[in-house]
Amino acid sequence: MSQKGLEAQRNTPLNKKLKEIFWGAWCMQTNWNYERQMNTAYMYAMSHTIDRLYPEQEEIEKKKEAYRRHLEFFNITPQCAALTLGISAAMEEEYAADPEHFDPSVINAVKVALMGPLSGIGDSLFQGTIRIIAMSIGISLAQQGSILGPILAALISIFTSAPITWYLGKLGYTKGQDFVKQMSESNLMEKVMFVCSIAGLFVIGGMSASLSNLTTPVTFGEAFVLQDVLDGILPKAIPLAMTWLMYYIVKSGKVKPMTVIICCFIAGIILNYFGILAA
Amino acid sequence: MRLIQTLIVVLISVMMRLDSRMFGRLNFERPLLTCTICGLLLGNLQVGLQVGATMELATLGMMSIGASGIDMNMGSLVGCAICIMTGADIETALTVAVPMTLLATVLDTFASIIRINFTHMCDDAVDKGDFAKAKRVDIVYGPALYVLFTIIPVFLSVYFGADFVQSIASTVPTWVTSGVSLGANIIAFFGFAMLLSTMVNKNTVVYFFAGFLLAAYSGLGLTAIALIGIVLAIILYTVKYVGVSNRVAAETGASSLDDLEDLDN
Repeated sequence: MSQKGLEAQRNTPLNKKLKEIFWGAWCMQTNWNYERQMNTAYMYAMSHTIDRLYPEQEEIEKKKEAYRRHLEFFNITPQCAALTLGISAAMEEEYAADPEHFDPSVINAVKVALMGPLSGIGDSLFQGTIRIIAMSIGISLAQQGSILGPILAALISIFTSAPITWYLGKLGYTKGQDFVKQMSESNLMEKVMFVCSIAGLFVIGGMSASLSNLTTPVTFGEAFVLQDVLDGILPKAIPLAMTWLMYYIVKSGKVKPMTVIICCFIAGIILNYFGILAA
Repeated sequence: MRLIQTLIVVLISVMMRLDSRMFGRLNFERPLLTCTICGLLLGNLQVGLQVGATMELATLGMMSIGASGIDMNMGSLVGCAICIMTGADIETALTVAVPMTLLATVLDTFASIIRINFTHMCDDAVDKGDFAKAKRVDIVYGPALYVLFTIIPVFLSVYFGADFVQSIASTVPTWVTSGVSLGANIIAFFGFAMLLSTMVNKNTVVYFFAGFLLAAYSGLGLTAIALIGIVLAIILYTVKYVGVSNRVAAETGASSLDDLEDLDN
């Protein structure tokens, strides 16, 4: 029985374990592959805990089993991986303490159950909200020639990503399996999504009005300037129309992104040549 | 001189690649940051900022989630470097970025086949009990492969591409370059739409219009819009979740008074 390993794990300072979880989460995409996606990275992140739990040579089969357990398919937003890594570490510890009564397949079941919803939240939060806010502030300052733009964008990114990853790891490890239950009872995911979608969509709306400007140089005679007419009705009407036109192209799902990009350049050259649109 | 500049760009590309691999995606892979750093180190900050802002805008909406999405980061960096080294227009960066993106996509297909083999190497190492090797495959081989598949195309295209671009840049007519620039602006909307499609539904589309109308009519900058958006989200959160639980507490009457007394103690 692995009393020695268990003691080693329990005697390891919490901060050391949290550091391992933190870096493990940030390194989630070291070997992203089509077969099992983030599997080897998850194994690497868990390896510190597993190595401590099974130090003896006669426990090698258990150790291999644990390694294999974490080589299964896995995919998540890297920052959110801290939460599942924390929970997995706590559960591995529980299993090592009581292998008779603890079913190890639950460890992976919890991972799989969390990965979908957490990725949904994580991508909306980090890529859809924080990145958009950081970068749109950065772009608007950089367009004016200020280096403060990129600096702010970097600071916003770092000082959201790092604390959230750390805190999620701590939450996962200290609360363990119970956290999953608490999370579904308190509607936590729904609440985060609610805030993200409002702030994110608000900024995307603002972005399509102010970041990229499309105007039309079309005129009929001296008196009729199409752009002035449009501005009188709704400023930025062309950007708005372009956003929703693109939205339906994306939604149809029929056109590959690379095709759209190349078509945009061709359209840009044609529309510019005939004086229909200008940037 | 050319060699030193190229090596600087190669170093930036290493940072760009490892950002999403080993730093949880801190956005240091994004054109706004890579191009600014490139401009800073190659001695033309203003061009770096302009190319960075232009490319960031064009690719803002393109989320890189797992395998889907397009990675224009490498193309942007190379385009920016060539712009600075040749003194070409900012539009040149765009025309360089697109073929580089295609190349990057093709190269990554090869790399992804190797990465599947890495996964199997890991399986075998664990079966044999060679845990150190399993870990090494993930934390050394994986990132090393990513870096290799980044620095080689970056080095070749910057080192040899600059001459090529210089030789044709002067012959391209302005209606093409301004057309390309218009195209980049249109692509930005494709990005906005991609973001929108992942977040919008019938109930939330109104927040898009709130942000749009505020920006369109007031002309406020995006920093202001972003802050107002965050505040709005918090207010609505309070109304929807915090407000409800307070109301529930109030309706239960006596018990809420007990709570207040508890607070006094």
